[in-house]
Amino acid sequence: MSATATAGPAAGRPRTRPGRARALCRVAPGALLVLLALGGPFLAPHTLDTPVTAPYAPPGGGALLGGDQLGRDVLSRLLHGGTALIASALLVAVAVTLLATLLGCAAVLRPALGRAVERTADVSILLPSVLGIMLVALAWPGGGRGPVVAAAVLLGVPYAVRIVAGAAAPLASSGYVEAAVSRGEGLAYLAVRELLPNLRATVLALFGLRFVEGVYVISMAGFLQIGPQPPAADWALMVRENAPGILLNPWGVLAPSLAVALLAISVNLAANSLAPQSVYKAVTFK
Amino acid sequence: MAALSRPAPLPRRAAPLPRRAAAWPRRAAALAVEVAGAAARRALLLVVLLAVVFAAVEALPGDAATAAAERGESAADLAARRHLLGLDRPLWERFLEWMTALPTGDLGTSAQGRQVTELLADPFPNTLLLGASAFVLTVVLSLALGCWAAARPGRLTDRLIGHAATASFAVPEFVVSVLLLLVLSLWTGWLPAVTVTGADGAPASWAMLIMPVVALVIPQTGWNTRIVRGALADQTATPHVEAAVLDGLPTRQVLLRHALPGAVPAIATGIATSTGMLLGGAVVVETLFNYPGVGTVLAGAVAARDTPLIAGVVICAGAAISLVLLAADLLRARVVGARA
Repeated sequence: MSATATAGPAAGRPRTRPGRARALCRVAPGALLVLLALGGPFLAPHTLDTPVTAPYAPPGGGALLGGDQLGRDVLSRLLHGGTALIASALLVAVAVTLLATLLGCAAVLRPALGRAVERTADVSILLPSVLGIMLVALAWPGGGRGPVVAAAVLLGVPYAVRIVAGAAAPLASSGYVEAAVSRGEGLAYLAVRELLPNLRATVLALFGLRFVEGVYVISMAGFLQIGPQPPAADWALMVRENAPGILLNPWGVLAPSLAVALLAISVNLAANSLAPQSVYKAVTFK
Repeated sequence: MAALSRPAPLPRRAAPLPRRAAAWPRRAAALAVEVAGAAARRALLLVVLLAVVFAAVEALPGDAATAAAERGESAADLAARRHLLGLDRPLWERFLEWMTALPTGDLGTSAQGRQVTELLADPFPNTLLLGASAFVLTVVLSLALGCWAAARPGRLTDRLIGHAATASFAVPEFVVSVLLLLVLSLWTGWLPAVTVTGADGAPASWAMLIMPVVALVIPQTGWNTRIVRGALADQTATPHVEAAVLDGLPTRQVLLRHALPGAVPAIATGIATSTGMLLGGAVVVETLFNYPGVGTVLAGAVAARDTPLIAGVVICAGAAISLVLLAADLLRARVVGARA
């Protein structure tokens, strides 16, 4: 509810809106990193699962970043390890944004649904996302990435709906929407043709932040070993697996940690510059 | 809710001193009603969460009996274990029993057959200690940084704090932990790398708390600094703050006495909602530092696929978060009521 309160005219902060070139500069690192992670598997010098050096071997010989706990090449695993992580985070971001936009538009047009959404968000705030994902992923036989993504979507939607509803509420009482309602238009028409075009900036900002949140949640799950399972290469899982050998080959832990950090920061900067500042603020705020 | 419980402002302001003193018991009663109302609302939401968690555990495939099953166990063995754990009784009966047992501190039985309460009795206070230290430090730091940035709008300090906050809130806690561990422990040797547990089950030295707390504080401070900065920016645009500036009051006074009080509701909401992130992060950070908290218990629960134990942790965390949200509700109601 306070999302509406802060969505009002932006504060009297003297702030020049960054130009197109500057926005491009901010989006570039994120885009580059995503491209590198997606194309990484083709650049890897070694295969994923055959040992090329001694366990926890320091950098040298054929392995530029040394070996991991089984002597596999850290660099090759690093190049492979981002693809699934980024793809899962993107999937979470797209699914949450899509569901939240539709539900949010419906919530402002149907007050009963709106109240239900508010209560759901109130309840879901009591459940830390890490614990919620653990609960779902562990009760699911087989585990793996699927349940983690499903749980992340499920837990992300209520709060995101609240944001979209907060932004859509002032639109729903505007003249053109009331005119469409009195014309007798249906819910779907009202949501897609009347509300959605005016919510572009909010939805874009929401997508950016959900991607950031997706990277956070998916990598957290990987680190807790509830997402990808051991033979797979995954940055977060690498941090966990190689932590015991941090003294012998710090790169086995440092390289994937830095990769996750760089991904999170650059995606966040990109999300920050994609949307107008006032909208970004409304989305960040509770 | 705040609007309903707001005391009528005009008579109170107009009333002379003796009458205000006479109205004191009535105001205390109103306050008690308000606190009880807010607490009841939060408790209700917590009960709903419990119901959802219970239903989720039930609805998801796989239960405590299959989780603890060993390879080659026959269907009859499984059924016997299910009967032993009471899983063959109807859903509503078990839910009712579980809910009525909760107030007595009974959280059910883990997949290994031990009491969940017993498993969490030592670790949960440790996690609360970690989370509470990080919470206090986050509040202090984000208020200080947010105010500092707001005192110099658009200048270098403001932009630096803004960028640092934006960059830090996206980074997962385990990444911050790894970097801290490498720099502060392994390369310089200033702080112990793992937490050693003393005889009482708590960390043996306060120095072992430093790195886990810092790892939690950095991302959360980034997030909350943005909230404080944004709330202050909204306040500086209001007429009463503009009037204070035009009166020529010093920046510090305008910020702390005129802008900050109005920003308190937004800040309280923002910081209270980050409690969940703090507790979730604590679970992860503990795993890395071998801190004797819930995270270490959960790491075992993950391997054993022990859903009842995780549900127990969810309940404890939900209760802690409810308390912080309740405090934020009351603070917001007070501030809004006083300013009406």
